[in-house]
Amino acid sequence: MEPNSSIPPPVMGAAVAYPPAAGAAYSAGPYAHAHAALGALYPPPPAPGPPSSHQGGAAAAQLQLFWAEQYREIEATTDFKNHNLPLARIKKIMKADEDVRMIAAEAPVVFARACEMFILELTHRGWAHAEENKRRTLQKSDIAAAVARTEVFDFLVDIVPRDEPRDADPAAAAMGAAAPGIPQHPAAADPTTMGYYYVQPQ
Amino acid sequence: MAEAPASPGGGGGSHESGSPRGGGGGGSVREQDRFLPIANISRIMKKAIPANGKIAKDAKETVQECVSEFISFITSEASDKCQREKRKTINGDDLLWAMATLGFEDYIEPLKVYLQKYREMEGDSKLTAKSSDGSIKKDALGHVGASSSAAEGMGQQGAYNQGMGYMQPQYHNGDISNV
Repeated sequence: MEPNSSIPPPVMGAAVAYPPAAGAAYSAGPYAHAHAALGALYPPPPAPGPPSSHQGGAAAAQLQLFWAEQYREIEATTDFKNHNLPLARIKKIMKADEDVRMIAAEAPVVFARACEMFILELTHRGWAHAEENKRRTLQKSDIAAAVARTEVFDFLVDIVPRDEPRDADPAAAAMGAAAPGIPQHPAAADPTTMGYYYVQPQ
Repeated sequence: MAEAPASPGGGGGSHESGSPRGGGGGGSVREQDRFLPIANISRIMKKAIPANGKIAKDAKETVQECVSEFISFITSEASDKCQREKRKTINGDDLLWAMATLGFEDYIEPLKVYLQKYREMEGDSKLTAKSSDGSIKKDALGHVGASSSAAEGMGQQGAYNQGMGYMQPQYHNGDISNV
């Protein structure tokens, strides 16, 4: 359980508008926790990956906050029996591969956590696209855009084919396809910041 | 990143090989079993967007498919590694190696911490509380395996955990009680 009874306000320059909703197991809005962690608990860990090659500085900072939050949550984990994802189902999906023989008990446990990170990252990147299009509802096309823009998600291109002919950033999609090594984000710093830090309550 | 994963200490139990229903090919696996529950996925997705944001149903379903593909993608790479090394059991370190190989380096450090804590708890659990240990294995198993496959698993377990002989009898007892 989260020990935070009250969440201090974010310490970043721009005020984050969305309030943390009440959650039973986890508090909603993990980035609020990340802000709190950044300001009060401990500095973000050095990023092992190449965040500089990703999107703008704001996006990189956002990802660092995300991973800092992951570290904090994992450090706070004491109960491995209650997972956000069912282990039996994960094991069945693993065993769909005929080459898979035996699976250690720890493997579905690791996957439960990894899948949660994967879902969070995919959704987070998809939400950025929804914001760029001034929408409040995450749609399938946003997930498709996130997949198209992120090299590490290349294995998903067959799962989420781009079926939306009208794309807000055709240049971004083209550049993403042309240069798979470096995911491109054509928007300037301000739109990116607006996309990631939801300032206008609307 | 160093690519010499040591044998997992204080954990890494094996489970039965193969399904009682025979080789679970893609076609014979039920639709329900191919994906994780959409309610769980939806709950996690909500943590990544603002509180007043909404998620369309088709977005949830798309992420549901993406997660299964992610599991299969990583599992396949880990399985290939095990085959090259003449091992039959996929463990946590194999999955971490596969994720790093396939570009998910950012996931590795948090998951290493997570796996380490799990193994510590698992070790304590095996030494002190059998019922707790059984609970985890029951969940992980999903269905009861045959005795012969369990015995085979035990053989592999012994061979795999060289130097961890003192753990083997307790695991054996736990396995018997669960069958």
